Amino acid sequence: MRKTALIFFPAFDWAISPSHPEREERLLYTRDQIFEEGILDNPRIVEYKPRLAEIEDVERVHFCVPDVASQTTNAHLISAGSALKLGDALLNREIRNGFALVRPPGHHAMRVVHGNRGFCNINNEAILVEYLRFKYGIRRIAVVDTDVHHGDGTQDIFYHDPDVLVVSLHQDGRTLYPGSGFVDEAGGPGAYLKTINIPLPPGTTDEGFLKAWRRVIKPALEAFKPELVINSAGQDNHFTDPLANMRVSAAGYGKLTEELKPDLAVLEGGYAVETALPYVNLAILLALAGEDYSNVIEPQKRGTVLRQSEEIEQAIDRITGYWQEKLGREPPGKDELFGGKGLYLRSRSIYYDTDQIYEQQRESVEYCPDCPGLYQVESRAKKTWGDSRWIWGMSIPLYACPACQARAYEYWEKIIGKKNSGNGPDCFYLQDKKGNRYLREKG
Amino acid sequence: MEIGIDVGGTFTDGVVMNGGQVVNWVKKETGEDIASSIQGVLEQLLAGIDPFSVKRVVLSTTLITNIIAQGRVAPAGLILLPGPGVNPRDLPFAAKAEIIKGAVDYRGRIIEKIDPAEVSAALKRFLDSGISRIAVACKFSQRNPALEEEISRLIEEECPAVRVLASSRVSGLLNWVRRANGAVFSLQVSDDYRLFAGEVAVSMERLGLKCPVCILKADGGTIPLEQSLQRPLEGIFSGPAASTLGALAAGGEGLTSVVMDTGGTTTDLALVLEGRPLFSEKGAFVNGYPVCTRAMAVASLALGGDSTITLENGRVVLGERYGKAMCLGGARLTVTDALVYLGLSDLAGREKILPILEEMSRRHGLEAGELAEKAVSIFLESLERKLEEMFAVWEEEPAYRIWQVISGQKKRPRTVVCLGGPAKGLGILWGKKKGWQVIVPRHAQVANAIGAALSKTTLRLDFFADTQQMIYSTNIGGLHGSLEHILPNLEEAKQFAESLFRQAAKELDMPVSRSETLYEEGFNIIRGWNTLGKIYQIGMQTPPGLRAFLEKGAGTGA
Repeated sequence: MRKTALIFFPAFDWAISPSHPEREERLLYTRDQIFEEGILDNPRIVEYKPRLAEIEDVERVHFCVPDVASQTTNAHLISAGSALKLGDALLNREIRNGFALVRPPGHHAMRVVHGNRGFCNINNEAILVEYLRFKYGIRRIAVVDTDVHHGDGTQDIFYHDPDVLVVSLHQDGRTLYPGSGFVDEAGGPGAYLKTINIPLPPGTTDEGFLKAWRRVIKPALEAFKPELVINSAGQDNHFTDPLANMRVSAAGYGKLTEELKPDLAVLEGGYAVETALPYVNLAILLALAGEDYSNVIEPQKRGTVLRQSEEIEQAIDRITGYWQEKLGREPPGKDELFGGKGLYLRSRSIYYDTDQIYEQQRESVEYCPDCPGLYQVESRAKKTWGDSRWIWGMSIPLYACPACQARAYEYWEKIIGKKNSGNGPDCFYLQDKKGNRYLREKG
Repeated sequence: MEIGIDVGGTFTDGVVMNGGQVVNWVKKETGEDIASSIQGVLEQLLAGIDPFSVKRVVLSTTLITNIIAQGRVAPAGLILLPGPGVNPRDLPFAAKAEIIKGAVDYRGRIIEKIDPAEVSAALKRFLDSGISRIAVACKFSQRNPALEEEISRLIEEECPAVRVLASSRVSGLLNWVRRANGAVFSLQVSDDYRLFAGEVAVSMERLGLKCPVCILKADGGTIPLEQSLQRPLEGIFSGPAASTLGALAAGGEGLTSVVMDTGGTTTDLALVLEGRPLFSEKGAFVNGYPVCTRAMAVASLALGGDSTITLENGRVVLGERYGKAMCLGGARLTVTDALVYLGLSDLAGREKILPILEEMSRRHGLEAGELAEKAVSIFLESLERKLEEMFAVWEEEPAYRIWQVISGQKKRPRTVVCLGGPAKGLGILWGKKKGWQVIVPRHAQVANAIGAALSKTTLRLDFFADTQQMIYSTNIGGLHGSLEHILPNLEEAKQFAESLFRQAAKELDMPVSRSETLYEEGFNIIRGWNTLGKIYQIGMQTPPGLRAFLEKGAGTGA
């Protein structure tokens, strides 16, 4: 009998700041509940010890400015490392599934990292995906993000990767941070419809939450046929969460976990440290282990029925209907989406709420008929108080064709040869996922 | 002088120690009645010794394990107040349970009241089925024992003949299943245990011993016999504690080693790291049920000196014990016999083994030496696997703090202390194979009794306080309550914990001079933008170790 593994890393000695939602206390009551239940004596559950992720594991995913060490603390590396440890245990067939109940979270961390966004510095799930694909030769992975906030970091990292399906179920971005995650963000031209955003109206209950899963995500997964499913298990859709406005309960999370059957779940947000986390975490753990979670009922929920209005019902039907229709049709081809120039270009600005940084970005992806194509980004960031940074990075996809990989090194040589100190980017990056080689040059 | 007695399944060992010196020792077969076995050993030990010079007697017994394993327990029932969480029907409770309303949350707040009619109905059902001992377990009762106490009171009022025990009186650690089972077993064994304690007291008096009697605990500390009546489970599994302490006594202060204790049917492996025995992360299991007793981490292998050697389709196989080794007059060839044949044992009787061993080997086309070596190497391979498992568990102990994760790789010991008859030969071979140092203590045959005699009084306090709820609790059953003063900072919380530590030591009649801090943490309780209070977690204990170590030359290196 293979077991459900738990890594519980509450980081009792780490906080963003003493009164920040992401502080030492966050998983204290979850610890109390899980330990008190005696569930860790259950022979179906096994506890693992966390470990640190390597710098290379982070470089495989991010362009950290100026380097990984400046953007991470040990807590970040342990949080990511815990996910990797469970990934290894899963792929070595030691366990049936696993839950990294860890902090700090990661799903708002994008490819370029100038600082902390939405309490995140590095993206735990993305680091896990790239590690497993590199180490075990897995190709197709699905990430299902059930945090109330749009998983914009994970979306950004895999936006042009046709082998990673990123699905985010969240409260409508017009009403909540980070203000993105609309249906038209559906993947780059080479990975169209491999990003699925399901913005739900504030006030959505278990019923609406599960409807979105059953009508859209489930069939999308069935069509994509991933080798592995990872759940970004944020818990702030809970009806008591102080930072959001949804009405989902522990039972809803338990049911979703039971049906989704993720291979690995990684904790994301959730800041109702007393009223939600002890119960939701327990329900998810029990559901993963195939145990009965029907008695995990929040005291606040007793005697009340969480109902969603007619209006909310209709909004959910509209959005699920949109996706059913969209995913039911044959999408346009890659060459058609890239257009005549064979180049995808995007300019945008990104705000780092925690660290108060404004970033300006220009990205490009080259069309290649044989592979996802080379990705380039130029990024400048300025802190509200403090200095600015300018970087340039290029990424060779894991499944790049040999021609693209070779051309990337030609570009790199040319750019490094021409770099002009003091009058260009501060830092240059070459991320060769295919060759597992990560180069960084100061400007 | 101090006396240590270890009552094992087969033998009862006793020693009289004067500091680190063995003054006298006895080893006898354990009889039917444990109390009279103890008396017999005491009588022999005291030959030529003035009873007044004995300052302390420490007992380690399998009494409670036997009572439970043989099912000689009084029937008990369990009233459960699960509140929200895991389905209680899926949890391993050690008694017939009645589930009723009433719940406390992790902060100690009552989130659901009890219904006295339900209590009454549950009580009636228990009485109807002949159960008059009832344990009460409410989730988070250590944070707030009010519901457990209310139910106990209701039952006592309605039916004074019923014995009730609240789980928060047994332990204050998180894990209500373990607390509940601890309460059940305590109720079940208490009469037999009381009887035993009475008999020991009579023996002491008869032999003119006026000194205190202590019971060795599973964690290697001691508790006065009188105090152990309230906490009978503390003394369960003290055998492995005794042998680990015995190994430490021989290995010296600061020992880092594997301890291998080989008996007739099993071999136990334990770890001592820098003079401190390794504890099991979660607690012990009794009859397969998890309980709250803190115990040393021991890996048991179902092979011992009396394991029989057989051949199946030409393959050497080690099997169950059928009796003594052949060299001692037994009927079947055993591991001990193989050691004797190979010259790895001090036992005589090689001539009794030879004909059978040679005949058996010839039938399977082997040399006698090959067969013996094969049997021993199978034993060592099984030991090696068990040791690897134990190391893996130790190295994979969960960590909840950054410093625990980055504090580096755990360093495996490269020494083995061998206890028990066959351990010496096996240990020397094993050590040679692994390139390890092997220690065979001079008094290895009574190492457990030495460990008991040299054990120290120990106390551990895990303190928890919530200054918003104004409550505190500890790991010690019954030691919890309301805070009278707000504890504004960690320093004051520590002082309060220290005062509780002293109080507990006094109540348990334990002379405690020093304490060391295991961990200390303060959490801010913040809701919205306001700090509403603090939660403290502090752990302290008496420094582990021994009263004395065996004098130099007591161990032999190889």
